[in-house]
Parts: sequence; structure tokens; C-alpha cells
Amino acid sequence: MPGGGHCPDCGSTELVEDSHYSQSQLVCSDCGCVVTEGVLTTTFSDEGNLREVTYSRSTGENDQVSRSQQRGLRRVRDLCRVLQLPSTFEDTAVAYYQQAYRHSGIRAARLQKKEVLVGCCVLITCRQHNWPLTMGTVCALLYADLDVFSGTYMQIVKLLGLDVPSLCLADLVKTYCSSFRLFQASPSVPPKYVEDKEKMLSRTLQLVELADETWLVTGRRPLPVITAATFLAWQSLQPSHRLTCSLARFCKLANVDLPYPASSRLQELLSVLLRMAERLAWLQVLKLDKRSVVKHIGDLLQHRHTLVRKAFRDGTAEMEAGEKELRERCQGPEQGKEEVASSSLDLPEGKRPASPTPLLPPCMLKPPKRICPPPPVSTVTGDENISDSEIEQYLRTPQEIKDFEKAQAARQAARSVSNPP
Amino acid sequence: MACAPRALSRAQLQLNSRASPFPPPLLTVGPPPMEEEQTYLELYLDQCTAQDDLAAPRSPLLSPVVPDDGYIPNTSNSETVFNAHLQEVKGASGHFSSVDLSFLPDELTQESKDQSVIRSKQDIEENGKTQSQQSRLSLPREQDIGLGLISDSTLSKSHSQAYPGDADSDQPSPEKPNSTPLMSITPMTPVTPVSECSGIVPQLQNIVSTVNLACKLDLKKIALHAKNAEYNPKRFAAVIMRIREPRTTALIFSSGKMVCTGAKSEEQSRLAARKYARVVQKLGFPARFLDFKIQNMVGSCDVRFPIRLEGLVLTHQQFSSYEPELFPGLIYRMVKPRIVLLIFVSGKVVLTGAKERSEIYEAFENIYPILKGFKKA
Repeated sequence: MPGGGHCPDCGSTELVEDSHYSQSQLVCSDCGCVVTEGVLTTTFSDEGNLREVTYSRSTGENDQVSRSQQRGLRRVRDLCRVLQLPSTFEDTAVAYYQQAYRHSGIRAARLQKKEVLVGCCVLITCRQHNWPLTMGTVCALLYADLDVFSGTYMQIVKLLGLDVPSLCLADLVKTYCSSFRLFQASPSVPPKYVEDKEKMLSRTLQLVELADETWLVTGRRPLPVITAATFLAWQSLQPSHRLTCSLARFCKLANVDLPYPASSRLQELLSVLLRMAERLAWLQVLKLDKRSVVKHIGDLLQHRHTLVRKAFRDGTAEMEAGEKELRERCQGPEQGKEEVASSSLDLPEGKRPASPTPLLPPCMLKPPKRICPPPPVSTVTGDENISDSEIEQYLRTPQEIKDFEKAQAARQAARSVSNPP
Repeated sequence: MACAPRALSRAQLQLNSRASPFPPPLLTVGPPPMEEEQTYLELYLDQCTAQDDLAAPRSPLLSPVVPDDGYIPNTSNSETVFNAHLQEVKGASGHFSSVDLSFLPDELTQESKDQSVIRSKQDIEENGKTQSQQSRLSLPREQDIGLGLISDSTLSKSHSQAYPGDADSDQPSPEKPNSTPLMSITPMTPVTPVSECSGIVPQLQNIVSTVNLACKLDLKKIALHAKNAEYNPKRFAAVIMRIREPRTTALIFSSGKMVCTGAKSEEQSRLAARKYARVVQKLGFPARFLDFKIQNMVGSCDVRFPIRLEGLVLTHQQFSSYEPELFPGLIYRMVKPRIVLLIFVSGKVVLTGAKERSEIYEAFENIYPILKGFKKA
């Protein structure tokens, strides 16, 4: 029937349009040869292209959803794919985004906030599955400001009433350490600097646990502590060759950004290790400093539990006991070190190392910047008489008003001259 | 004359400083055991009968072991004072109609007054005491209190005038008269042993209050005529004015509303607000002083031991929010009283969101045992 069609086999012009399992075909009615075939999938509006259409586009589900929400959902999916998250995370994150969008405050928010919301939903999903994703990473991927991110994150957690578990430090250590490019020799990494991944991971984990126990992690950003711990672990595995390498150089070699607080975390960790070294019999004689203690980190970590117990004591409980002893012995020559709570040791100073320092967060160990005097007890009742003179000190005299107006006018004139009309 | 039954909220019992002007009257901090109540009650009654003739009301916040020590107002005496004060208030300037009574706790409003009396009656009967006289006595006082508590300071002033020879009071009157009448209508809670209290008193750091000057203001004129004012309409639509004593800052809007911040106590905030109103008056505007209300109070204190914030967020998940990547402190949203606490690893605690001083004290007393649980971690 259609004009101009010949069957290639028998040359007949009797071609019939038929469909075989909903696939449209042009068939010769004489010999049954299939001349042309259509595409099995549905085609989009212009049939010339014969493109496939995804399920979500062929159904009407997106007609109900606003365009900005669709964009946001696409961004959520893209972010999950970039982070290589499992597919179940994607669905959960999308569900959170849709849930958030039901609130009018979110629908009316600025685009910047909606963009950051994408990151928040993905972060919440990861946290709930104990997937170690830091806010810094998400902000870097979204080119977002951490302040904006934090505001939106706190708001959405409250709005959706979600229970978000804390960041899992052990998993973060594993992920973060694996990102260090030190496990294979390369042009930038000398062979002496290459390290075995498993050894470094286990040592870093131990160091992070030690930091956690000695109050170096609570209240601080987690990543700089892990950077410092990784550096120390790496150095201690081959100290002879690696002591000369600084933290900044290490991060550059490993192709990892150096977070700013990492150097102070490093110093704090080293001072903790030094205190522990003072309690280890064969290290007491060595008079270690912050550089040489690195060589003995292996030993220190092996006995870390007992050492921490011996080197530090509960700061508060023993402080009172220590103070009492101090008072009792204040006449004696036994002054000891000038610590707030002196030791309760009976042995003379020379033989024993320094008295155990209190196990406190660094912010409590530092002396207060300024001692706030207790506020004077004020006897204000709120209904005292207010003298006129007191009020008049705040008012301008007529002369002052005139001068002020003149000055303002002059300033206005100067401004209008400088700004070309 | 039998002593009126008094109940002290735990916070007030343990503090040797000022009580809040508006202590929550029917607050009981958890159901007390019956026997404890009984013995304390007997103690209390014995002391009551012994001190029946003491006239001078001393500070009610002496040692918790002797709760009633200074707290024995002659009921007739105080009632007359109240009536006198009532007239004073009524006569004062017609502010009465525009006074905002929203600060009063719900139990004291007219509708639930009967309920509160009944409840207090039931509590008292549980103790095995027949308190019918006292509850009846307390009922008329409730009404007085409702009106008498409008301005705590005027009340205290009248009381200080009424008891001029009160040599025993070591602190000026603001706290005593307010607490006594309110105490008399509330059921008694058992005295808590000294060891349970924290001994730490949060210091108030900032009070935010609002007041309505009730007249339209010309902000340009104010900025021109006042030395201590700054006005930048492109940045913010209000005049920012500061005074030196008490050291505070005020935002004055053209509608006549004003926000006063920076004061360290409720009275200072009120005085400062009055000074700002007076400055505006002197500039020629018919400013009044309506609806003074304290909107927010911030306090801080130090428990002096480190706190394991990660542990706290695990055990009190539904109230706490701890994100070390964002903020070093733990944000604890207490439900009763509705206060937000910022808890830091060093043991410093910031309490905010209170409308009354007692809420801050109560919140701290609630959080202290929780924090102590994380001391030895």
C-alpha cells in the first residue's frame, strides 16, 4: 500500500504495516520479508530522532514537581554519584530533599540555600549510614560557604526532626588516610617516604584514640587531629629518614590539603607523648624532646593504656587532694614544680620525674587570658530618680547642633562633588 | 497564728543570692518521697510554732536546713502592705490598663486560680496536714499577688518603706517581699540536703528588654540632637543609642518601640530603659513607658571540670546537638524550663532563652547532675 516501497526479496509492492509485539514493522505480504523495523521503546515528540525516553520522563510524576525542586533532586543524585555512594543512599537523600521541600520556608528560600540543602541531605544520609563524609568535603564540592552550610544544616535537622549520629572517627581515619598518596613510589615521593598502608592505618588509629582519650579531640574539628596523627605515624615508622620532613611538606607530598589547626594539634599530641615517655622506664634516662620522642612512638603506643594512667591523673579529684598536701607541706623545702596541684609523691624530686599533670583539655591547662573580677553587687532597684543633668550630658547644645549640621552639609557637598552626577 | 504553708522551689532553697521576682509557684522538682516529706514537715512545724512571734522577715534564702527562718511574715501585716501598695499602683498613672501580665505564670491567671488552689489543697492534704485555713488565707493573697507583682521594684520599695528598721536584712528588699507571698500559696516541697546542690550560681551576663514609648519618633531629629546616637538608615532602620550608666545599648524605632540590651540585671535593664525614654522625652517627644518586658536573659557559669561532650550527646540525644565541625560546644535544648544551654569541654556553661532569672537557676540545677555524670569519663 505505501507508495514507492519494494520488497528486496521478491520485488512486490504489497507492503503492510504491521506490529510485532508492539514493534512497528513494514512487512511484504507476499514473502513475509521484514522491510523496515521501528524501535521497541517509546519515542519522544519528534519521531525523526527516535531517541529512548527514560521512565521518569514518560510518566507524569515530574509534572507535579516544580522546576527548582527537580533541579535540586538532580543535584542530589549528581552529588551522590560524584561521591560514589551506594544507590540506597541516593534514594534516602532524595526523600529527605522532597521532605524538606514540603516546608514553605524551604520553598521560599534563596537559590544559594537550596543548593546548600542538597549537600545537607546527602550529609545526613551519609551520617545515618556511618559513612564518613565531612562537611568540609561537601562544602568544597558545592563551592559553598561553611557558615551558610551550618545554618541550613542546623535548620533542616530541626525542621525534619532528624536524629543525626556523630561523625564516626575510625571510619574517617581509614578514608582520609587512604587518600594520602604515599603508598607507591612516584616522581614526587622518594622511595624512603613510601609506606605500607596497613601499618600506617593501624598506627594512625592508635594515635587518634590516644588523642581522644587525652582530651585533644572533644570540641575540636576532627580532620586536623587526624592529619597530625597520620604525620606522626608516618614519621615514626621510619624516623631516621623522615624526621627531617615537615608537616607542610608531608601534606604536599601526599597530595592532601594541610588544615590550619593541624600544626597545633601536632604540638599537643607530641607533648602528650612526651609526658607518657617520662613514665616509661627505659625512656626516662634519655631526656627526650619533641623531635626525639618520635622514634619511640611505637613503644609508647604499645603501652599506651598504662602510660596514660600513670602519666596523667584525673585533674579535678586529685587537685583538691594535691592542694591539701601543698598546704600541709608549704613550710617544707619541698616546693616541687610550680603546678597548681602538686604531686602526692613522697620520693624526693631528683629521682622521680615530674609529678603527674592533670588530664585536662588544653583550654583548661592554659592560664586564663584575663581574670574576670566578680561583678559588684548592684543595688539598683530600677525605679531610682533620673537626674536631669545625667540626661542632659547626652544631648547636644544648640550651638553643637548648628555645627553638626554644617559639618554634615559640607560632607554631603563633598560627596556629591566627588561622585560625578 | 499558724504559719502559712510555703513551698520553695529547689533552686531558691539552695541559692544565697537574689531570688527571681517571679518564682514559679507550683513547681515541684519531681515527686518527693512521702516519709522525707513527713519528717521535714514535722521539723518545719516545730520551728514554726517556736518562731511564731518573729515579725521581721529576713531573707528567705538562708540555709536550706532551716527553710522558714526568715520567712514568717505577719499575714495581717503584709496584707495591709499589699493593699497599700495596690492603691499606690492603681493611683500611679493609669498604666494599669496597659500593663502586660503575660509574664505571670499560667497558674496565677484568673482562670486557673481555683485549680491551683485546689491542687495546692490536695498536695497539702497528702502531707497529712489540714491546711484549709491557710489555703483560704492564701486565696485572697493570690489576687493581691497577681496585681502586686506588676512591678517588682515598686513592691519592694513599698516593703522597704514598711520595714525601715529591718536591720537583719543584709540585702535590699527586692527579693524578699516578692518571694514570701508567692511562697505562701504554693505547696511545700521537702528540703533538699545540702550535698545535692551545686553551690554554683550562674551570673547574668545580658538582659534584652523591650518597651513601648507610644509615640511616633523622628529618627533624624533624635540622631541630630543626641550625642550618643547613631543613625544609618541605609544599614538599619533604627537609631542606636548608648548610655554609660548602666552600660547598655538601645535600638529605637520610628514606631516608638525600643529594644534595650546589655544590662546585667532586670532592675538595671529597667533603669536603662527609663533613661532612654527620658532622653527621648527631653528631645521633645511625648514618650511614655508602656509594656516594659524582659525578652531574654543570658547567664554563664563554670562547673570547673572537663565534660565528655561525645558521651553527653549519646545519652541525651533528643535534647543535644554536638557538631564539632561547626561549633566547639554542645547545644542542649532543655524542655523544662525552656532554656538553651551551650556546654563546652572546659566546663563552662552558657544559659540563654530565659524570661526570668529563676529559669536560669533552675536550668543549671537540672543540668549539673547530668554533667557530673560525665566528670569521670
